[in-house]
Amino acid sequence: MNDMRIVKRDVDMNDIKISAKGVQVYYGDTHAIKDVNVEIKDKTVTAFIGPSGCGKSTFLRCLNRMNDTIDICRVEGSIQIEGEDIYDKRVDPVQLRAKVGMVFQKPNPFPKSIYDNVAYGPRIHGLARTKADLDEIVEKSLRRGAIWNEVKDRLHAPGTGLSGGQQQRLCIARAVATEPEVLLMDEPCSALDPIATAQVEELIDELRENFSVVIVTHSMQQAARVSQKTAFFHLGNLVEYGETGQIFTNPQDPRTESYITGRIG
Amino acid sequence: MTNEKHIASVFDRDLEAIQALIMKMGGLVEANITSAAQALEERDVELAAKVRASDKAIDALEEQINEEAARVIALRSPAAGDLRTVLTVMKIAGNLERCGDYAKNLAKRTGVLADMQPITGAGASIRRMAREVEEMLKLALDAYIQRDAELAEQVRQRDLDVDQMYNALFREFLTYMMEDPRNISACMHLHFIAKNIERMGDHATSIAEQVIYLVTGEMPEESRPKGDLTSHTDMDMESF
Repeated sequence: MNDMRIVKRDVDMNDIKISAKGVQVYYGDTHAIKDVNVEIKDKTVTAFIGPSGCGKSTFLRCLNRMNDTIDICRVEGSIQIEGEDIYDKRVDPVQLRAKVGMVFQKPNPFPKSIYDNVAYGPRIHGLARTKADLDEIVEKSLRRGAIWNEVKDRLHAPGTGLSGGQQQRLCIARAVATEPEVLLMDEPCSALDPIATAQVEELIDELRENFSVVIVTHSMQQAARVSQKTAFFHLGNLVEYGETGQIFTNPQDPRTESYITGRIG
Repeated sequence: MTNEKHIASVFDRDLEAIQALIMKMGGLVEANITSAAQALEERDVELAAKVRASDKAIDALEEQINEEAARVIALRSPAAGDLRTVLTVMKIAGNLERCGDYAKNLAKRTGVLADMQPITGAGASIRRMAREVEEMLKLALDAYIQRDAELAEQVRQRDLDVDQMYNALFREFLTYMMEDPRNISACMHLHFIAKNIERMGDHATSIAEQVIYLVTGEMPEESRPKGDLTSHTDMDMESF
C-alpha cells in the first residue's frame, strides 16, 4: 500500500540515518525495551506510537543517550547514527546531543531572552566566531522554527513571556540552532492548543527537508498527519514498523490494529 | 481484522448500526429482485407497481447510510479495519442502490410487456437468472457480515454463470426477433431486462470484492472469469 498523500510527501527509502540493532534497555530489574531493531531514514518523520509504558519514550531517549543520566538504566545492543556507534566510549554525550536535538513535552525555554535561548547552544559549542555570525544563526534558527516573524521585534524580551505554542516553536528553534542531524520530539504538542499544534505540525513537515525527525506522540491522528513512517511499541517490543499510510489502513499485526482502532490491546 | 470491542462502546454501536442498515437495505433489494422477476413471469402488474413504489425506501436507506458513515468519519476518525468498514459500507450501499434501480426498471418494463404478446419461456429464463443474482447478492452480504473472504471469492467466481445465462438469452432473443419482427418490441424490453440483471450480477461481484478488501486490506488482483461475450457478437444470420 502506498502513501496515499501527495507525491511530495513520498518517503525516500534510501538514506538510513539511525540504525538500531538488538537494543535492550533495563531499569534495574525491569526489562523496558526488548530486542528492538529499527532503521530510521534521513529526511523523514518517524512516529513512535503505543500505550503508556510501552517503551517508546525510553527508546527515543536512547537515541541521544538521555538515559545515561539515570543511574539504574542499562542499555545493550548497538545504535549507530550515520554508521557511528553512539554508545562508543569515545563519544562525548554532550557533542552527541548537539547532533541529536531534543524537544520535550512541555515548552521549557531558559529564563533568558529569546535571542539567548537560541544563541546558547551555538555559543557553548563554539559555532559562531563573531557577533554577526551568531545573529545570523539566531535568525536562521528562528525562521526554521517558524517563529521569526512573531519575535523579530522583541528578540531581547524573555522567552518565558511567549505563548505556549510560541515557546514550543522557540524550543524547536533552539534545538535546530546547533545544526543537528536528528531531531527527537517527545510529545511536542500535548501541552498546546489545536491551532498551535497545527503550526508545530506544519513546522515538523518543513523540518523534514533538513533533518531526520523522530516524534513520540500519544495522538494517533498526529502520527498519521505528520509522519511518513510509524513504529508501534507494545510492552517493550517493537511490534510493527512501516509506512504510515499502511499502518493506519492495513496494519499487519493484530496488536497494532487493536491499538490504533481504540480497542483493548 | 479484529473482533475485540472498542474502549469507546459508542463507536461499536455506531458501526453496528450502519451495518444493520446495510443488511436491511440488502434485504429490501433481494426482495425486490425476486418480486420483480415473479411479476414479470406471472404478468402481475400490481406486484410490479409495489416493487416500483418500494424502491424509494431503498434510496432513502442509501442516503441514511452515507450520512451515518460521514458522521462516523467526522466524529471517530476510524483507522485500519474500522476505516475499511466505513469505506466499504458506503460502496456497498451504492451497489445495492443500483441493484434496486434495476429491479425497479424491470418492474416498469413488466407493465409494458403485460400488454404484449408473451415470448415463450422468456419469463421463466429471466426469473432463473434473477434468482441466481439474488442468491449471489445474499451470499455476498453474508460474506460481509461474517467477514468471510473465501465465501466472497466464491461469489466473485459465480458471476460467470450469470454472464453465460445472459449470453444464452441474448441469442434466444435475437432468434425470436429474426423469426417474427412483431416480437422485436417485446424482445428489446426483455433484452434490457436481461442486461440489467447481468449488471446486478456485476454489482454483487463488486460487493464481494469489497468484502475481500475489508477482510484482507487489499483489493483482489487476479482477474475473475468474464463470460459476457455479447459485445463481440454480430447479427450475422449464419452464426445462428
